[in-house]
Amino acid sequence: MERLGRVIAIISGKGGVGKTTTTGNLGLGLAMNDKKCVVVDFDIGQRNLDMILGLESRVVYDIVDVMDENVKLKQALIKSKVNENLHFLAASQTKDKTVLDSAKIQKLVMELKEEYDYILLDAPAGIESGYEHTIEFADAAIIVVNPEVSSIRDADRAIGILDSKSQKVKDGGEVRKHLIINRIDAKMVEDGDMLEGEDILSILNIELLGKIPEDRAIIEASNQGRPVILNSNSPAGQAYKRISARICGEKIKIKEVELQHTGLFDKIKGIFR
Amino acid sequence: MFSFFNKKGTAKTAKDRLTIAIMSDRAGTDNFPFMEKMKAEIIEVVAKYMGVKDIDIKKEVVGDVEALSIDIELDDVAINKAQI
Repeated sequence: MERLGRVIAIISGKGGVGKTTTTGNLGLGLAMNDKKCVVVDFDIGQRNLDMILGLESRVVYDIVDVMDENVKLKQALIKSKVNENLHFLAASQTKDKTVLDSAKIQKLVMELKEEYDYILLDAPAGIESGYEHTIEFADAAIIVVNPEVSSIRDADRAIGILDSKSQKVKDGGEVRKHLIINRIDAKMVEDGDMLEGEDILSILNIELLGKIPEDRAIIEASNQGRPVILNSNSPAGQAYKRISARICGEKIKIKEVELQHTGLFDKIKGIFR
Repeated sequence: MFSFFNKKGTAKTAKDRLTIAIMSDRAGTDNFPFMEKMKAEIIEVVAKYMGVKDIDIKKEVVGDVEALSIDIELDDVAINKAQI
């Protein structure tokens, strides 16, 4: 039987909030849940997903080679070293982002939908043409923000464009939107110096998919090219595991990562800090 | 010491500023998915009576009131026709 996979764009508006890290980890997380998954880097000219996945030395052909029909899709897809359910399609590092073309993207996306359960598209930062092309044929979007004003404001702009420019919306449908709040510092939230999840949700008016705490293990993971989800001791890795399971339909309660110190002793200590 | 009693926290300020900034951002964008279709339909109606060169629709927010401002630019022929 023919599959019809779900296309999820990972977007943020602002750069540097953890979009590519999230794409890599959720791709692997879905693969670990026995889903056939492909992650596609749409950040033409600034390829980074290959580093997160530790596959940078294996890239031969990229997305532009496939769209220009220089190579077959199968030749450009790279298998993950850690999970056979996960494949990766690299962004072009040398070409200009203006090479992207709607008809070619649609053809590529349709081809991927027939082969995979989930197709994760890592959007470029910003809200320009490269971003618009990433969301054009998405069935759903995951918005990654940091609890910080510029990230949230930029995310709202990106959501606005998603709601007006995606093909699904133009066809009268709706693109489901899910929020991931990344890099939460429990101590700062406790001190009242970091926006809380609830505030961010009410400002952006979308549903929450998960919260990820600030975690040194993220950079340790990207240093090694081994996504943090493989590190079961890491709070961020655990958060990505929970989020992956939620995407697969499991009902897992949102862990309030803001509340790390809930013991009475910690509360008293907090008062006299 | 005793920071609990005298420190308000900056998150509240962030929330208030963000809410206002985002409200004003949203007011400035055509974020209605049906905007293009609505423009086309308005042109259709107006064009029954006079020639239309361009149309511009903006959502405006003044205090608590949201409004649509619709600017229709007529072409020269239309103005002549209307004067007759």
